[in-house]
Amino acid sequence: MKNIIEVQNLSKTYKQLKAVDDLSFEVREGEILGLLGPNGSGKSTTINCILSLLEFDQGHIRIFGQEMTPDAYTLKKQIGVVFQDVAVFEELTVYDNIDYFCGLYIEDKKTRKDYVRDAIALTGLEEFVKFYPKQLSGGLLRRLNIACGIAHRPKLIFLDEPTVAVDPQSRNNILDGIRVLREKGATIVYTTHYMEEVEQLCDRIIILDKGRVIAAGTNEELKELTDIEEKVTVEVDGIQQPQLDRIKALANVKEVTNSKNVINIIYGEGENNFEKLLEFLGREKIRYHKIYSERPTLNDVFLELTGKELRD
Amino acid sequence: MFFHNFKYTLKYLFKSRILIFWTYAFPIILGFLFYLAFSDIEKNEQLDIIDIAIVKEAAGEQRENSEDEASGNSEILLNAFEALSDENSEDQLFHTVYVSEKEAKGLLEKGKITGYLLAFEKTPKVMVKENGINETIFRQAVSEILQTAKLTAVLTEKEAGRQLAAAAGAAGGAGAGQPDWNAVAEKVLGDIQEEQANIRDISGGNLSYTMIEYYTLIAMTCLYCATIGMYAVNCILANMSRKGMRISVGPVKKGRLVLSSLCASYVVQLLGLALLFLFTIFILKVDYGPNMPLVILLALVGSFAGLSMGIAAGALIKANENTKIGIIIAVTMLGCFLSGMMGITMKYVIDSKVPVLNKINPAGMITDGLYSLYYYDTFHRYWFNIISLLIFSALMIGISFFALKRQKYKSL
Repeated sequence: MKNIIEVQNLSKTYKQLKAVDDLSFEVREGEILGLLGPNGSGKSTTINCILSLLEFDQGHIRIFGQEMTPDAYTLKKQIGVVFQDVAVFEELTVYDNIDYFCGLYIEDKKTRKDYVRDAIALTGLEEFVKFYPKQLSGGLLRRLNIACGIAHRPKLIFLDEPTVAVDPQSRNNILDGIRVLREKGATIVYTTHYMEEVEQLCDRIIILDKGRVIAAGTNEELKELTDIEEKVTVEVDGIQQPQLDRIKALANVKEVTNSKNVINIIYGEGENNFEKLLEFLGREKIRYHKIYSERPTLNDVFLELTGKELRD
Repeated sequence: MFFHNFKYTLKYLFKSRILIFWTYAFPIILGFLFYLAFSDIEKNEQLDIIDIAIVKEAAGEQRENSEDEASGNSEILLNAFEALSDENSEDQLFHTVYVSEKEAKGLLEKGKITGYLLAFEKTPKVMVKENGINETIFRQAVSEILQTAKLTAVLTEKEAGRQLAAAAGAAGGAGAGQPDWNAVAEKVLGDIQEEQANIRDISGGNLSYTMIEYYTLIAMTCLYCATIGMYAVNCILANMSRKGMRISVGPVKKGRLVLSSLCASYVVQLLGLALLFLFTIFILKVDYGPNMPLVILLALVGSFAGLSMGIAAGALIKANENTKIGIIIAVTMLGCFLSGMMGITMKYVIDSKVPVLNKINPAGMITDGLYSLYYYDTFHRYWFNIISLLIFSALMIGISFFALKRQKYKSL
């Protein structure tokens, strides 16, 4: 699988703040690459550097095998960008906005008409084509923002936090749309700080912190970086300290915490931990009204690697 | 791509309420307010024809003592007032009746006349009952006529003396005969006509100070083109707007895009100007004079200067759109104020005390160019202002060009 983007030793400093620090990674053809990191980790700066919107201090950026520059119009024609902030004309309708931005890439009117129609269908905006942006809800506005960025059917798409502050229906619509784009052959760079989306959507994930790559790999590969096998949460009516001590003594248990009768049990390894815990609770006659098991999340990975939460 | 962007720029500019207000509605509203504020003043200032009487007889003793002098002045006065009372003339100032002194007194008492002139007195006298504008004008007219008569006498005497001296010189000091009275009369008439011509030039024909308000209104409208130009440029620059970021990542040359947006902005502006001209000419009945094509040319060049100012504001000022619009409007209003929008006195003060200020003020250039079309028979000053506006525009565009060139990359 060939590389669509190659970033080598990229560095960018704002005055005294090192926003991107010797960053290197590649994006492979046809994949959805997730750039995950907390606010200020350098995700947007990296994207802006790749798109030649920002001058950088050092490093090389190649897209489709060519050096990316502000005047690389042939490359730009194959790229679509959906910025974090909605960037549309308030004075134009939904249709006109999509047509305007698509027209910067596609000159042929007939082709453009088809492309615009497809983008409207993909983002589910058929009923709103004559609406003005101010008449749209936050979620619909985000969908319009996406439609404007992808209507020209780019081969490489950058999506910078496209689901910030949207309702669940619009979020699902957006995520489904991104999957469709990938199925149609687009390579996607997806930037977010929502780990659940990355887990659902991305083939590979790069976790950034302070402008550096702290981990990269598939969802499973990243989770292997942590020594957490399973997390079980039990909500009990009440529990005594000796009983908590006995839970700690169970096989494979790494850590037990109790906060207002909500007990979190972390297992480092092993199988059938959940069943064994249920047996223990029965034996000890500890009454519970909710119990569930989770696999480790990317937040656990981030916590393990940096000592802080992703959403800090 | 050029026409695609041109079309959509037109579309979003026409739908931008704030821009349409400043470019289309505000000048028309202001023009209408000028009309309401000043038309009555001008109407009130228009002079009514003044009823007067001339007494063609003098007291017997006075007439005997100074018959020659009195008859000389009275003839002049009678002729002058006959001309000023000509009902077929646009310049008619008086309605004159010729009566006896007794009748004149009676008419004055009844308020039928403003005053009467004792034309055949040694020193002609104006008799009035009150002190008002009409009375002042009557007195002033008599005074002017007598002064002109005196001036004519002095010039005649001087010219006759000069001719006699010249003739004596040519004859080697021998006494000369009579001066050539025809030549003297021609010279004196020429001098007086020149003097009158000078006076007419200074007074500016039928120009009213309200016209200065309309000139500054045109200047303001031209310069408001800056708001449209700024908005259009802002929309396509990555460091100025989110839309600019999106456009900047597209495969389009910034220069072509800017040019296309500015062409559309200029079209929007021209329509605004056309509306203003139509409104002021056909609704407010403003007379821009016989040089309308030159007025339009100046407005076109002025709008171009406004557009260039907008490009510079878009490229150089690091602020949001509303702040930029605020700055443009403030600068434009200041420029219009200095060129006489809130009173023609300001223009005179600036022109006499700090002339350079209105030489670099585009509103001043536009106003002065329009002003010069009325005040001067020649077009030197008009073309000087046109060229000044073009230089101003070139400077603005030049500075913006280098600023935009440096913004190849967005700076956060």
